[in-house]
Amino acid sequence: MEGMSYARTPRVKIRELKDDYAKFELRDTDASIANALRRVMIAEVPTIAIDLVEIEVNSSVLNDEFIAHRLGLIPLTSERAMAMRFSRDCDACDGDGQCEFCSVEFHLRAKCISDQTLDVTSKDLYSPDHTVVPVDFSDPSGEESSEQRGIIIVKLRRGQELRLRAIARKGIGKDHAKWSPAATVTFMYEPDIHINEDLMETLTLEEKRTWVESSPTRVFDIDANTHQVLVVDPEAYTYDDEVIKKAEAMGKPGLVEISAKQDSFIFTVESTGAIKASQLVLNAIEILKQKLDAVRLSEDTVEADDQFGELGAHMRGG
Amino acid sequence: MGLNQESSEEQKKQNQNSSLGKQLPNHQVGDLGIDKQFLTAPIKSAVDKFQLLPEFLKVRGLVKQHLDSFNYFVRTEIKKIVRANNRIVASKHPNIYLRFKDVRIDKPSMMVDGTDAEVSPHYCRVSDLTYAAPIKVSIEYIQVSHGETSKKEKNDVVIGRIPIMLRSCRCILYGKDEAELAKLGECPLDPGGYFIIKGTEKVILIQEQLSKNRIIIDTDKNGNINASVTSSTEATKSKTVILMKKEKIWLQLNQFPKEVPIMVVMKAMGMESDQEVVQMLGRDPRYGSLLLPSIEECAKNSIYTQQQALDYLETKVKKSSYTSDSSEKGDRALSVLREVFLANVPVRQNNFRPKCIYVAVMIRRMMDAILNKDAMDDKDYVGNKRLELSGQLLALLFEDLFKTMIDDAKRGIDKNLEKPSRGSRFDFPYYISRDTITVGLERALSTGNWDVKRFKMHRTGMTQVLQRLSFIATMGHVTRVDPHFKKSMKVSGPRALQPSQWGMLCPCDTPEGAHCGLVKNLALMTHVTTDEEEGPLISLCYSLGVEDLELLSGEELHTPDSFLVIFNGVILGKHRRPQRFATAMRKLRRAGKIGEFVSVFVNEKQHCVYIASDGGRVCRPLVIADKGISRVKEHHMKELVDGVRKFDDFLRDGLIEYLDVNEENNSLIALYDGNATPETTHIEIEPFTILGVIAGLIPYPHHNQSPRNTYQCAMGKQAMGNIAYNQLKRMDTLLYLLVYPQRPLLTTRTIELVGYDKLGAGQNATVAVMSYSGYDIEDAIVMNKSSLDRGFGRCIVLKKFTAIKQKYENNTSDRILRPDRTGENAGRMQILDDDGLASPGEIIRANDIYINKQSPINTRRSIGSSAASLPDNAYRPSIQTFKGEGDNWVVDRVVLSSDKNTNLCFKFVMRHTRRPEIGDKFSSRHGQKGVCGTIIQQEDFPFSERGICPDLIMNPHGFPSRMTVGKMIELLGGKAGVSCGRFHYGSAFGEPSGHADKVECISETLVKHGFSYNGKDFIYSGITGCPLQAYIFMGPIYYQRLKHMVLDKMHARGNGPRVMLTRQPTEGRSRNGGLRVGEMERDCLIAYGASMLIFERLMLSSDQFQVQVCRECGLLGYYNHKLKTGICSLCKNGDSISTLSLPYACKLLIQELQSMNIVPRLKLAEA
Repeated sequence: MEGMSYARTPRVKIRELKDDYAKFELRDTDASIANALRRVMIAEVPTIAIDLVEIEVNSSVLNDEFIAHRLGLIPLTSERAMAMRFSRDCDACDGDGQCEFCSVEFHLRAKCISDQTLDVTSKDLYSPDHTVVPVDFSDPSGEESSEQRGIIIVKLRRGQELRLRAIARKGIGKDHAKWSPAATVTFMYEPDIHINEDLMETLTLEEKRTWVESSPTRVFDIDANTHQVLVVDPEAYTYDDEVIKKAEAMGKPGLVEISAKQDSFIFTVESTGAIKASQLVLNAIEILKQKLDAVRLSEDTVEADDQFGELGAHMRGG
Repeated sequence: MGLNQESSEEQKKQNQNSSLGKQLPNHQVGDLGIDKQFLTAPIKSAVDKFQLLPEFLKVRGLVKQHLDSFNYFVRTEIKKIVRANNRIVASKHPNIYLRFKDVRIDKPSMMVDGTDAEVSPHYCRVSDLTYAAPIKVSIEYIQVSHGETSKKEKNDVVIGRIPIMLRSCRCILYGKDEAELAKLGECPLDPGGYFIIKGTEKVILIQEQLSKNRIIIDTDKNGNINASVTSSTEATKSKTVILMKKEKIWLQLNQFPKEVPIMVVMKAMGMESDQEVVQMLGRDPRYGSLLLPSIEECAKNSIYTQQQALDYLETKVKKSSYTSDSSEKGDRALSVLREVFLANVPVRQNNFRPKCIYVAVMIRRMMDAILNKDAMDDKDYVGNKRLELSGQLLALLFEDLFKTMIDDAKRGIDKNLEKPSRGSRFDFPYYISRDTITVGLERALSTGNWDVKRFKMHRTGMTQVLQRLSFIATMGHVTRVDPHFKKSMKVSGPRALQPSQWGMLCPCDTPEGAHCGLVKNLALMTHVTTDEEEGPLISLCYSLGVEDLELLSGEELHTPDSFLVIFNGVILGKHRRPQRFATAMRKLRRAGKIGEFVSVFVNEKQHCVYIASDGGRVCRPLVIADKGISRVKEHHMKELVDGVRKFDDFLRDGLIEYLDVNEENNSLIALYDGNATPETTHIEIEPFTILGVIAGLIPYPHHNQSPRNTYQCAMGKQAMGNIAYNQLKRMDTLLYLLVYPQRPLLTTRTIELVGYDKLGAGQNATVAVMSYSGYDIEDAIVMNKSSLDRGFGRCIVLKKFTAIKQKYENNTSDRILRPDRTGENAGRMQILDDDGLASPGEIIRANDIYINKQSPINTRRSIGSSAASLPDNAYRPSIQTFKGEGDNWVVDRVVLSSDKNTNLCFKFVMRHTRRPEIGDKFSSRHGQKGVCGTIIQQEDFPFSERGICPDLIMNPHGFPSRMTVGKMIELLGGKAGVSCGRFHYGSAFGEPSGHADKVECISETLVKHGFSYNGKDFIYSGITGCPLQAYIFMGPIYYQRLKHMVLDKMHARGNGPRVMLTRQPTEGRSRNGGLRVGEMERDCLIAYGASMLIFERLMLSSDQFQVQVCRECGLLGYYNHKLKTGICSLCKNGDSISTLSLPYACKLLIQELQSMNIVPRLKLAEA
């Protein structure tokens, strides 16, 4: 551990990669970097989400704000988001209007004319820009499923109508969770498991079995042939200490030693579908870099002193 | 649903297995289908009787008490009342009469252009009408036309309108299914049991009172033992007290200003021989010796005969100021004895013997109590209580009004017949006014004041506006029991939990504070009886071997083996084999030959058999057991599930019966089949039914500290959620709704029975029990901002504003104008449509006008021209502006209807969507309330390696002192529920019967899904990314959002309005008032020595005032603006005037004192 966390040569190994799911290892760095990455993924990677809704007709059971809130939470494909401008610092429009650089306009028109309930879903949201559309969860194989029909916004009965115009804008998860591209971003420390083989051999097979079963997750197993206890899946270990407690209860403390490797992390990233999980990680790194740049740039300037006050000099000195 | 059932069966199996023993962990039944261990296990015929409950509630509904009582009134009682007073006879012409032949209540309707049109309750609610039905009678009367009389008959004469209870047999909702109800705009889950009076929903609270016509032995405040009977018959109400005072026995009666010796009364009733009296009391010499002083007293006054006694009593009777006839004078004492004294015991042909025996029994009971304190009655015992329901109360009122109507009609007729030149035709029905009954009933129901002159009854607060804050508040309100008498503060007895409340009244649900323990709620299965026909029951008793009272001597009455048979408080006679008699009665009841609510109770101690068929007794159903073996068998339950058998079939087949509190004392009730012994007579249906509707929402209440459950009962009513299916069609003045209400992950059986799973009031929040940020002290909770963004705790507030287009007496009326789009108010009128009303969907800001109304300046004097042609300057604007806190209020709906006085009425509903903010109140279902302390970004929130991030963080200090273990189990069960996909149960006392999941089972499920058995998770800090030092208890808990929100409460003021009188700042948020530096705050400032601050707060910032003070006389002068000097009006000069500033309130005090001829003088000194 000594000095290792300062090595700053992180390595990434991708384990699994799907459109909306990624699992990778991040090694040779410390918790601060891992956590910074996680935090940026959740809160600072920009996406596009509906931000302004103008309702023309709404005779549905849900009220205007209700529908607007639901619309906002629909994930939109946001590959363009990194290149877009925040509407507040858009030059083309005066900041609150809409233009191609900062916003996308959507239309929704639905009216139920049959006796059956009509589901108004995200698929009914029409946008002229094909790069920004509601996320399509359907399987490419084309199987009919409930997800196929998109996210339900409201259900209409005969005669009810919903007509609206919505403007989607770029934003970040810090402002509102609807702009967060991450469904789940989490990491764990890789566990380091050492079985004391000598002590283990003093156990009978029955004892071994009960010990192995004491773990709520399947971390250990017994080799069918050699009757040796093996670590099958160290990452299934949830740091629950159950096996250690069990070993103590059996009168064999030190049967197993488990510690967390302080410099390797296993990341799990699930995306809402707004951007691909891989892109999410890359964008996060990009943004993290930008943020670091901002700090570095200000470090050289004298203004840094003004900006940080006493802290500025302190930072440079320290 | 099917899946759910399947898994619950699996769960049951699991429970069974675990109850069989530890050797069967997930034991698979062998391929042969035989499991030896299972076969050898002792057979516990644990019939799952739970299914009875939904069936019971299906036939009964949750407010059956109200409905039954009202139905009884409408079907039976009203006919009785009319039959008892069915003739109106002209006093001078006895051959001119009107007779009511029959009475019936029609379907609810309203008058539209003189004809009846059917109305729906919802229509009444929206348009401020009374949901009432006409009372129609068939009459037969004598018509006089041109001096000739002829008999006429008429059907369907309306004598008035009676408000109809919703869902009663006369309501149009009766027997309707869900689709039909939806068409009528009614919620199928609404319990009914209330009335709609002028558009507001009114409940008649269940009134609790002491039983009528029963002997109660008690001590008065002087410590004297007494026996009292509150008699109540159709004709009179009286209270008779027999008490032991100074070793003598006295009678207290309102008609006697002073107590009279009981022996004299006995003699006056014809029991002249002392020996007979002693015999009636019984042979025991102790009774005789207790009576001796009274007998001696009687002899001292030389009263030996009935006539002497009557003469003596005559001197004691209260001299009423308006004695009707002096000739009657001699009989007054006798008539008091006949009609007032123990009015419930009938006197037939001046036969006072039953009354004498009754008195003897009272004295005997009293003496028992003197000799043995155990024989005292407990006034708080539920068996001595009667619950008065809406039907009885309405009957009382109706009877009075009906009689008033008859009297009025009679007076009108007499007046008309007296007139020498009366019209050629005399039409009887013309004199029957409909308004007496209509207005009388409506007024009583809307004010809650029950004034019945005949009984000197003046009760207030009988009705309340139905709480519609949440579905559960409504349910709680219709099952509430209110004590009608004011209990003194000192005694704690009435407030204490009574053992006899078991199963009848909810032990948890009572308010805190002043009404604690007095206001109660009915338990889930409680039924309140209605009156039953007495005649057949009495003759049945005689044919079952009751020896008639008339034939018995005093001696025979009290032989050791004889039991008195008392029917509804009247002594019928005696029976030698009480058990046999009781068993016979019960057999007949179980066979359905007599009413199922007749109670038979053998009191061994008092040697009495009590039979009760009166209304207002609380009772509950129980399974009958023969020698400890339940009559309800597996096949019965199967038939029930298959729908072949109904709850009523169980009753009819004698498998289940209703027991009231008294009869429960004759039975031994086992909780489960398993605990039954051969002596057991009954078995409970389900233990959780001892709780009421509201306490039934709490999961695992039996693991909580008891006051916590009580707190939750109070808080559950404040939770936001869904109110009813028709919530958006209703026009409530204030409505709080949750945007995304959820069904609790951890449910109970009661929740499903009541429908809370369909109209929930809360959300399942993932809660981490840990400390975070310091903004979580004192029960504050930390919330996840992203959760709030996604809709957690988001709520809709709907407020109603009303405007009326008033019509005035001079034919003018208000008018609504097209908004002025250019004038000075144009900005505030932006949201108005061209019709002058706010347009739905518009965002309304504070001070915006929502109705552009004008009123005529002159509303009294009649104007010459027609009202329409009034010039514009004859109107002044009476616009209504919106005063609402917060941004983004939206006009939701605008409804036009007519109000009570047929004015046009506009109702505006404004909507506001709010997300939780710091200071909003939340609570779990375990009496653990807390405000939101801070809102924190999701990335700063802790997370688990699965990616679970809590919605809410609760401080662990909330647990040790509150001891809400149920909450912890809820968390565990909820966590197991989400991981395995099955709703878990936590019904009260449900573990043995499988209606609550056991912690072991839950832990097993948790472990199966990779969680720790104890519900704790390994968690990383979101700020640093490092693991936390401790495992964190985390999982879903159902959280309620309570109606208290900072937005409605926050208040501050700089400058603002002042009170006219004192010129001090106003008080209260609604008047934009100031914040008072009170006495205690002032004390602190004094102690601190902050004199300048006190001066500023109490004077400069409050009511500083400059006065002119005369140094000579010390009185206040005035400032003459012309002369620019102060002048003293007493000294008539301005020589020695000083200007002084003091609080205006002080100046006011000085002047007020002066007005009372007190002269306060201010003496000024040089500073």
